[in-house]
Amino acid sequence: MVPNPLALIAEVTHRCPLHCVYCSNPRQLAAARSELSTDDWKRVFEQSGKLGVLHAHFTGGEPLARQDLTELIGAARAAGLYTNLITSGVGLAEARLQALIDSGLDHIQISFQDSREDAANWLAGAKAHAHKIELAHAIRRHKIAFTVNLVVHRQNLDHLEEMIAFIERLNPQRMEIAHTQYYGWALANRAALMPTLAQVEKAVAVVAEAEKRLAGRIRIDSVVPDYYAKYPKACMGGWGRRLMLVNPAGKVLPCHAAEILPGMSFDNIREKSLEWIWQDSPSFRQFRGEGWMPEPCRSCERRSEDFGGCRCQAFLLAGDMNATDPACSLAPSHQVVKVAVQEGNLSPRSGQPPSASGSFVELQKLNEDLWSYRTNPD
Amino acid sequence: MATPIDSSQPRLAPGCRWGGSEQERVILFPEGAIRLQGTGRQVLERCDGQRTFAEIITELQSQFKDADPAKVRADIGVFLEQLQQKRIVDY
Repeated sequence: MVPNPLALIAEVTHRCPLHCVYCSNPRQLAAARSELSTDDWKRVFEQSGKLGVLHAHFTGGEPLARQDLTELIGAARAAGLYTNLITSGVGLAEARLQALIDSGLDHIQISFQDSREDAANWLAGAKAHAHKIELAHAIRRHKIAFTVNLVVHRQNLDHLEEMIAFIERLNPQRMEIAHTQYYGWALANRAALMPTLAQVEKAVAVVAEAEKRLAGRIRIDSVVPDYYAKYPKACMGGWGRRLMLVNPAGKVLPCHAAEILPGMSFDNIREKSLEWIWQDSPSFRQFRGEGWMPEPCRSCERRSEDFGGCRCQAFLLAGDMNATDPACSLAPSHQVVKVAVQEGNLSPRSGQPPSASGSFVELQKLNEDLWSYRTNPD
Repeated sequence: MATPIDSSQPRLAPGCRWGGSEQERVILFPEGAIRLQGTGRQVLERCDGQRTFAEIITELQSQFKDADPAKVRADIGVFLEQLQQKRIVDY
C-alpha cells in the first residue's frame, strides 16, 4: 500500500490571458473543448478527500478563466481540502475575490513578473502589472493567506533587491522567489532565461539577507536552481509519492510535464477512480521504489532523498527518462547541463522592454530573436 | 518578533486552519501541513486568540506535573516562536 498523496494539483484549464516567456506548461496545451466539467471536478475533489489528500492547488493556465471557479473551490473545501489559488490575478476584482473567499478559499498566490511595469508587461506579453498591484491591496483587506510569487531569471535578477523591496510593500505573509524551471516554453527560451553564476550567487546572498530582515513578518521560500546545484531536486517529492496532478482534460499525472514521456499511458479520471490510479496504475508505479533506478542512483546514498531527480528532465536533456537527472553532478549526462550553464555565462542574451507598448503580436515580432511567447490552446 | 510574552494571545495566522481527521489532526497552511501529536497538539489547540501565553503555560504545567515548569515554559515559547517565523501562528 502506497501512502496517500498529500496534495492534488487541479490544473483546471490551459487557457490564459498572459503569454509568459518562462511558462512551464506543456507546449501541447489541452484544447478548451476537452476540459472537464464542473461535475467531473466535483468528483475529483470528493475522491481526493476520501484518499486523504490535504491540499488542492488550483492552477492552469489561468484558473480564473474557468467561470465555475467559485463552485470548484466550494466543492474542494466541502471535500475537506485546503484550497490554494495559484493565479496571475487577471480576471479578479473585489466582487469575485469576495465570492471566492466566501466559498472557502484559504490561500491566494499572485504572480509578479518584475517590480518595473514595462519589464513586467514585456515578460508576460500582456499589460497586467498595474492590475496585480491593485489586487494585492484588495487582498490585504481580507482575512486570507497571501503569497507573492516572483519568477526570477537572467532578465530580472540584476535588480532582485529592488523586486524584494517592491514585494514587501505589497505586504504578503509569504514570498516565493522562484528560479525558472526549464520545461515547456521556459525550456525553449532557456538561452534568454538562464542566469549567470554571478547572478545566482548574488541572489543567494540577497535572499539570505532578506530572510533575516523579514523574519517573523514575511516568510521567504526560495531554492537554488537545479542547473547550478550539485545534486538534483527531489522532483514533486518523488514520482507518485506526495502529489498528483489532474490536467484540464482529466488525465492524472505525477507532474505537469509527464505527458512528454514516450511510451507512457496515463489514465483519465473520467474512466478510472483516483484511488486506483494512485495506488495501482502502471504509470504511477513506473518510477516508484528503486527497481527502475540505473547506476549511479541505485547505489547512491542520496537515492531516498532525491530519487534520482526529475524523469521529465532526464528525457528532455538526456533523451532517456530512466537516466539519472542530468542536473546531478554524478549523472553520466551531466555535460549537457554544464554546456547550457557555460553558454548562459559566456554569451548571455538579453533584451530590453520596448519603450512603446503595442499588441502582443507586435511584442512577439520585436522579440523574435530573443524568445517565444506562450500561445493559447485552441 | 521574539518569544511570546505573558500577555500575548497566540492564534493561527490568516489562512491557517485545522484539518485532517479526529485521529490525526493537522494544521494546514500555504504549501504545507504539520501533523500534530501530543504536546504540540495540546499547545496549538489552546491558541484560540483568547487565552494568553501565561494561561496556556499554566494549563500545560499542571498537565505535565512531573516536568520542570521552567522547561515547559521555555519549550513552548520556542515552539510558538518557530511557528511564528513560518507565519503559521501570530501573537
